Amino acid sequence: MNSLIKLEITRALRNKKFLFFSVVYPSVLFLLIAGSSDSSTKVAGTGLNLAAFMMVSMASFGALTAVLMGNSERIAKERESGWVRQLRLTTLPGRGYVLAKTASAAVVSLPSIVVVFVVAAVTKGVRLDAWQWLALVGAIWAGSLCFAALGVAIGYLATGDAVRPITMIVYFGLSILGGLWFPSAGFPEWLRNIASWLPTHAYAALGQAIELGNAPHAKDVVLIVAYFLVFAGGAAWLYRKDTLKA
Amino acid sequence: MGGMTTTTAKATDVVSFERVSKSYGDVKAVDGLTLALHPGETVALLGPNGAGKSTTLDLLLGLRPADTGTVRVFGAGPRDAIVQGRVGAMLQSGGLMDEVTVAELVELACALHPKPYRANDVLSRAGITQIADRKVNKLSGGQEQRVRFALATAGANDLIVLDEPTTGMDVSARHAFWATMREQADQGRTVLFATHYLEEADAIADRVLVLHRGRLLADGTAAEIKAKAGARKVAFDLDGDIDEQALRALPFLTAADVSGRTVRLQSSDADATVHALYGLGLYPRNLEVAGLGLEQAFVAITTAEEARSETRTS
Repeated sequence: MNSLIKLEITRALRNKKFLFFSVVYPSVLFLLIAGSSDSSTKVAGTGLNLAAFMMVSMASFGALTAVLMGNSERIAKERESGWVRQLRLTTLPGRGYVLAKTASAAVVSLPSIVVVFVVAAVTKGVRLDAWQWLALVGAIWAGSLCFAALGVAIGYLATGDAVRPITMIVYFGLSILGGLWFPSAGFPEWLRNIASWLPTHAYAALGQAIELGNAPHAKDVVLIVAYFLVFAGGAAWLYRKDTLKA
Repeated sequence: MGGMTTTTAKATDVVSFERVSKSYGDVKAVDGLTLALHPGETVALLGPNGAGKSTTLDLLLGLRPADTGTVRVFGAGPRDAIVQGRVGAMLQSGGLMDEVTVAELVELACALHPKPYRANDVLSRAGITQIADRKVNKLSGGQEQRVRFALATAGANDLIVLDEPTTGMDVSARHAFWATMREQADQGRTVLFATHYLEEADAIADRVLVLHRGRLLADGTAAEIKAKAGARKVAFDLDGDIDEQALRALPFLTAADVSGRTVRLQSSDADATVHALYGLGLYPRNLEVAGLGLEQAFVAITTAEEARSETRTS
């Protein structure tokens, strides 16, 4: 299985478009949104200034991009092309394919988190304790597994033609409504209520709690674990269904 | 689900199907198929499109579960045989991983095989050493087939399964491909390939299984099948009274039909039939002698097979 993981990683690192959108793009968005903000104004209801707030949002967004896009589109396309069938004729266990995809996405998501942190620290002077930086990387990286599972589920649900629009709708929907692009504090109340239950909102909230020097809120941790279980369960079910079909 | 008491499979069988059926909705793709492959055979699975060839191979490889019946490969379930590295397969339109090079993909196949060959040897045997550094998504159709062949032969398999392997190859590529395949067979491997080319089955296989509508119609050497499918049609018009009895008594006929003045015959030896026709003192007009298409050849085999199974059961 290691050989497939290695090759999937090589391949992900070779894909310039994929690298741009998951590693460079979140930092560009960070600079566009928080670039001219002043450091003393707090984002309503958070106790963080815009730069610190958006740093976590964009790191989460980058990780989300890497794992969601990396899994869903590749899996749907390779299912359709017959590569998945070909792999089933090898000794590779069934879950090996999905694990290799997720591992390669995780390798790309790590730099996408770190690059946003470096850009935020250098250009906006975001300063945190060492444990906070490490905890942030750990929480955002681990939390991205939830969306990796969602990507796998979409990959097994959608056909090769439909996968891109479906992924885009889910991706932008979750990013914007979950408050990754703009703080959800600015949303009307009904929308804020919806947002607070989205996995992306809980995901960014993990990091924002760490920035304030706190442990993540129990509700956010429970939410993200629950979403992970639902997505992973759905992915496993769809995977098994697909296996019986062809 | 045949019980062990009724099984005819032998322990040495490479592959055995026992009354295996598989339907997609109302369509019976494989219908009560029973067959056995023996070590060292090169077997062609011959049939027109839609005969159930691909489904049969999917069942053999464990890619789909059978509705009823038992599929055994080396005495075990298909998946076990694959995990033990005993089966290599080349699927029809089996997609490849893109954005990686040919060499990287072949190295992956070798790494995943329990009894791998060296990647360089696999590349050279498949004739793709000179394109080893090329990206997989930049290959021609024929080159892709060679890469698929390399993936199917990355290790020391005992059985090689190929689904219409020469699709998209030109004549010379086809020859080269079968030469490589023969080397594999000469090393004692069992080779099973699906094809809808009678000539290909004839040239390569030492045993031919004819599949039609999911059922096994004929099982014999290529020469036997060719004789059965080699029927030609003889059509002509006759003036005056037609003596149907005499016509039906012509030698080598497999079918006869008289409508009005037109007579249509099928013969396994058209030369002898026409010779005897003149021998009757008849003067056929608009005489046409033509080979049967593969479809009609299958119908000819069906008819013969049904007649044979009737005499067998009576």
